[in-house]
Amino acid sequence: MPLVAVLPTSQLLLRALVLLGPVVALLATGPAGHWPPWWVVVPVVGLAGAFAAVPDSPVGVGLFLVVLVWWTISLGDDIQPAAMVAAAALLVAHLAAQVASYGPATLPVELATLRLWGLRAVVLLATIPATWAAARLLRGQPEPAGVWILATAAAVAATVVATVALGDHREA
Amino acid sequence: MTPTPSRVLTATSHWRPTAALGRALVVSGIALAVALVVGDPSLVVIAAPFVLLVALSLVHRPTREPRLDSHLDHVILHEGQGTTARLAMADVDEVEFVTRVAGRPPYVALRPSGGYVGRLLAEGVPDVEISPRRWGRRFLGEEYVALYTPWAGFRYGPIALGGQQVRVLPVTPPYDSRAEVPQPLGLVGAHRSRRPGSGTELAGIRTFQAGDRLRRINWRVSLRTGALHVVTTRAEEDTGVLLVVDALADHGPSDGIDGAASSLDLTVRAAAAIAEHHVRTGDRVALRVVGRGGEQVGYGAGARHLRMIQDRLSTIQVGEVAEGAGADDGVLRLGVTGGAVVIVMSPMLAESVGTVAATLTRRGVTVLVIDTLPPDARPPRLDGVEPGLVDLAWRMRRIERSVVLDRLAMLGCPVVAWRGPGTVDDVMRRLARRAQQPRVAVR
Repeated sequence: MPLVAVLPTSQLLLRALVLLGPVVALLATGPAGHWPPWWVVVPVVGLAGAFAAVPDSPVGVGLFLVVLVWWTISLGDDIQPAAMVAAAALLVAHLAAQVASYGPATLPVELATLRLWGLRAVVLLATIPATWAAARLLRGQPEPAGVWILATAAAVAATVVATVALGDHREA
Repeated sequence: MTPTPSRVLTATSHWRPTAALGRALVVSGIALAVALVVGDPSLVVIAAPFVLLVALSLVHRPTREPRLDSHLDHVILHEGQGTTARLAMADVDEVEFVTRVAGRPPYVALRPSGGYVGRLLAEGVPDVEISPRRWGRRFLGEEYVALYTPWAGFRYGPIALGGQQVRVLPVTPPYDSRAEVPQPLGLVGAHRSRRPGSGTELAGIRTFQAGDRLRRINWRVSLRTGALHVVTTRAEEDTGVLLVVDALADHGPSDGIDGAASSLDLTVRAAAAIAEHHVRTGDRVALRVVGRGGEQVGYGAGARHLRMIQDRLSTIQVGEVAEGAGADDGVLRLGVTGGAVVIVMSPMLAESVGTVAATLTRRGVTVLVIDTLPPDARPPRLDGVEPGLVDLAWRMRRIERSVVLDRLAMLGCPVVAWRGPGTVDDVMRRLARRAQQPRVAVR
């Protein structure tokens, strides 16, 4: 019996979002005049299908990076409203994969769980227009002195914090 | 259902970052780095929600190891009854979501369907309901449990929690019999005996003799005849019922209580039903299992004895009788006592069972055979064996079986197919009538 036939409705819904999110994010460059070629779209659709099938696999990372690379090479330093669409699509796909991977594929996700993550998605999505607006405002402004040093230091600090946080937590 | 004291297993694991956290971390980190290097603000917009998600996940980094215990509410059940597998957790302040994946042993129904359940801890710890669908010993309650922190940044487990051995007693189908047993020969009981005594069944009216109770005087007859007459009654006694269960093999498919029944299913359920009926009517019931385990229960009465019989039935092991275990040169020794009624429940495909039924009948013991071979029973398909050959062998075996059944009937040993309530009524009545008549027994 195919896997799709035994999946509960909630899992089907979540996996559909996982499948569609990266594809929408990729195609979002189209309205700005940069439609991705078929040899980019097809692998992304394939990877998205694999990601939807196994949402807790590393395929998702590769898939998202492909989309990021396409955005980098297609639009360059231009900032388009479509970036908000891409960010929202990727975020929704990521959260859907996160909820779908709470258990086996046949685990039905309860409404309360979907409601909670819906609210969280709204909170996270709110950062997208704010960031986009900030980027638009700061575009063309002269760089403050030491911004690169500060950014590098922040990145290093973030890396250290993440390393500590993600380390082995077993108590001695 | 019998509740059980909590028998718990404690499992340990440790917290690990989830794949989602890793993905968000990599995507946001690389997007920001590339944005800084190539000066692409679009990537900052894309990375922003992921940065916030990572931050929120890291804020809820767990610091304590939870402790998990699992146990079943009951360890003794009847087929079709259900119990609940409960999860007890401690030190779960940092846990937001619980996932339970229950094992699926054969002949077990689970709710939620599939045994998968996940729930926010704020909504309560999810339970898994388990219902064994076939008698026997079952290992229930095995499961995997995983815990998640808020924002699903860290996962504890999945860890395996052990199950518990559950005794699944055979269900007793609605069964009642109004037929009297052929040879009541015991103490006080409910069956009409052949000998006179202080029962309620009228035996006759005779002239008064010294020692007769005055309340037995029939005044109407005494006045008419001019001499004192008393009413005589027949004694009411219990009887011994020996249940012989054939567990030498199991024929036909078994789908549990909801589906097709194999020969052993029919045998065990029939034995349980008959045992319950006779125990309720005050008879002494014994059990003898002809099979690898050789389970047996001596004569006894009462609810505790019935439970003992049901326990033994639920632990039956299918297979040939071990060497020297109740069999001499292929002839079974059942230890039948005088006056007992022997009820053999068998698919009658084993020669030894037919032989012992015939031998007992010839010795004058009241024997009743209940045929438990399902009509649609077929031999299993074996790899490397030609199906046509198997079918031919099966047909020959069934022909031999019908010959054995005919010979038993000729000897006076009735054979009836199990069909639930009323299966043995007619046969028992005929056996009881026959028992009233004098006959010669071969010894």
